[in-house]
Amino acid sequence: MKLLSKLFLGALLALHLQGCSDEQDFNQIDDLNIIPTAEASLVFVEIPEDFINDSTDPGFYTQTFIFGAFQEQFFAENVLDGVISYEVENTTSKPLDVTIEFLDTGGNVLDTESFTIDAAPTAILQREITYGTPTGRDISIITNTASIRLTGINLGDNTSVSTLPEPVVLLRSSAKFRIRLK
Amino acid sequence: MIRRYIFLLISFWGLCSLYAQNKQLLYDFQEIPQSLMLNPGMKTPYSWHAGIPMLSGIAFQAGTSGLSVNDIFANDGLDINDKVRDRAINGLSIRDEISGVYQIEVLYGGFRGRNNPDNYFSFGIYNEGIGINYWPRDLAVLAFDGNADQLDRRFNLSHLKTRGELLNVFHFGWNRNWNRNLTVGARGKIYSGILNFHSSTNDGYFVTTPGVNNTLASTLISNMQLNTSGLQGIKDVLDDDSIDNVSGVSKIFTKRGFFGGDLGLGLDLGFTYQISSNTYIMGSVLDLGLLYHSGDIRNFTLDGGATIEGIELILPDALADPNADFWQDLVDEIEAFIPFEENNNNYVTFRPTKFYGAIRHNFGQGGPKGEWCDCDYSTNNRENNLNYKNSVGGQIYAINRPRGPQVAVTAFYQRRFGNAVALRGSYTVDKFSLTNIGLAASFQAGPVNFYIMGDNLLGYRNLAASHYASFQFGINIISWHVN
Repeated sequence: MKLLSKLFLGALLALHLQGCSDEQDFNQIDDLNIIPTAEASLVFVEIPEDFINDSTDPGFYTQTFIFGAFQEQFFAENVLDGVISYEVENTTSKPLDVTIEFLDTGGNVLDTESFTIDAAPTAILQREITYGTPTGRDISIITNTASIRLTGINLGDNTSVSTLPEPVVLLRSSAKFRIRLK
Repeated sequence: MIRRYIFLLISFWGLCSLYAQNKQLLYDFQEIPQSLMLNPGMKTPYSWHAGIPMLSGIAFQAGTSGLSVNDIFANDGLDINDKVRDRAINGLSIRDEISGVYQIEVLYGGFRGRNNPDNYFSFGIYNEGIGINYWPRDLAVLAFDGNADQLDRRFNLSHLKTRGELLNVFHFGWNRNWNRNLTVGARGKIYSGILNFHSSTNDGYFVTTPGVNNTLASTLISNMQLNTSGLQGIKDVLDDDSIDNVSGVSKIFTKRGFFGGDLGLGLDLGFTYQISSNTYIMGSVLDLGLLYHSGDIRNFTLDGGATIEGIELILPDALADPNADFWQDLVDEIEAFIPFEENNNNYVTFRPTKFYGAIRHNFGQGGPKGEWCDCDYSTNNRENNLNYKNSVGGQIYAINRPRGPQVAVTAFYQRRFGNAVALRGSYTVDKFSLTNIGLAASFQAGPVNFYIMGDNLLGYRNLAASHYASFQFGINIISWHVN
């Protein structure tokens, strides 16, 4: 009986103290990449045709506003690359030129994207601009952008009125960026 | 500073990496007084017992379901990113968990009533830490993949469920041989909470949908809260360079662990009923109780809802104020609709109540002296209770968890070798393992009792691949009851 109990205790202790394990490599954690892709809308602009017609200047609209999303510290420090998508829709009776500019904190232009769109009826203009990839634009444009300037130029007259209901020019934009969490 | 936070994080991860709380090997192991803690209505063959302080009962248990260390860190040549994606992100469900518990008896003793030997009283203090963290699947997917190209997918915020606590338990138990067939018992507990964190009633979702005006709409509906108690004091100590971290934290633990923190009450109930000469059924309910958290409270809430489509400039209104800050207005609007707030409101947590049910049949030489009868007197002494060689039985165990009860089923065989040695083997099925084989041994040398038990022993063939492990041991002084 003593022998049995000693064997039992020995087996129990041995199992606990000398448990086996497959070889582990905890340094693999260094190779783990956590890079989600975040997607959201950026800016939406709606300009009715009567606002364009009310302006005697062909440059009927210009506005600069702060855009802090890209300068949020976490985003700016960890963004890798991404795409900004634009859609321009024109249901007015005149051809238009719409320009979006990214400015740094000093007001310097970092990037410009212009859209020239025919008078209605015309298709929705869509464009994707890539940043941070080898063939794309420099990602620093994004991380240094502190404000956005929008400009609208009327390439037609300022008297005609579209036959479409509620004629407007619309700018839609969204961004999709990869962000390194680890 | 960073080291201090890592220290804090590791401390809590240490709590969270332990758990299961089923002590099937110890249940109704009458040679070991600690089994009385699992069933206050157990048959007690002791005249008195005294645990060696800090050494009478030490138990560690750890469990993970769905994933093991080996699944991620095995040196198998596979890319860890693929392993994490396949086995964790896409492989785990919201019912999978990492959880654990440790328990250390500070003081434990018991004695038979002088006037009425049918009564047996026990008392003591133990320190317990528990933690459970369910796999927050949707939040993990959001962190790993993001929300891109996931139109209309709702990321469910209720997947975040976590809880942990550290407390001292002061207890006093009464055990009585009601008659020859029935033994009942109850144990009152006073909980002195040291630390607690609790976030298990979250609700809401995050979804990206086609926008009404702009391309995309991002919607967050949130009803989330994290309750904490006792953490701020520790953070203050770790942040204060003039205080030694170890002594400062120890002082807080000591103060809060001895009625200077959160307080609560609890109750254990149990019985043993002899249904034939050598067959018994047992049942017990443990930790029917709650804690009222009222000291050093810091709670966080994220409650509200908002949908945004980026900055919206609708002319001519957008030109009305040349100084308008559209970005800040958007941020302010979101914060107004979904405020992240902090409060110091007291809160209540319920203890994880456990239930045991068991049947046991003794056989082999011995059995109660004299014929079994349904009579009123009892002879609950060592000779009568432990005068058998073998016993077999089955147990069922359940514990209430944030995602519903967890159940385990156990079969066991016990062999006694005189009064000196008792060995028990068990087979348990639960959510952590289908091959949980455990062994337990109790050794009696004069008045000294030493026990040791281990669980899921097959897992020790490859510890890193094991989903569950537990270990218990202790030393007691026992005076056996003789009529």
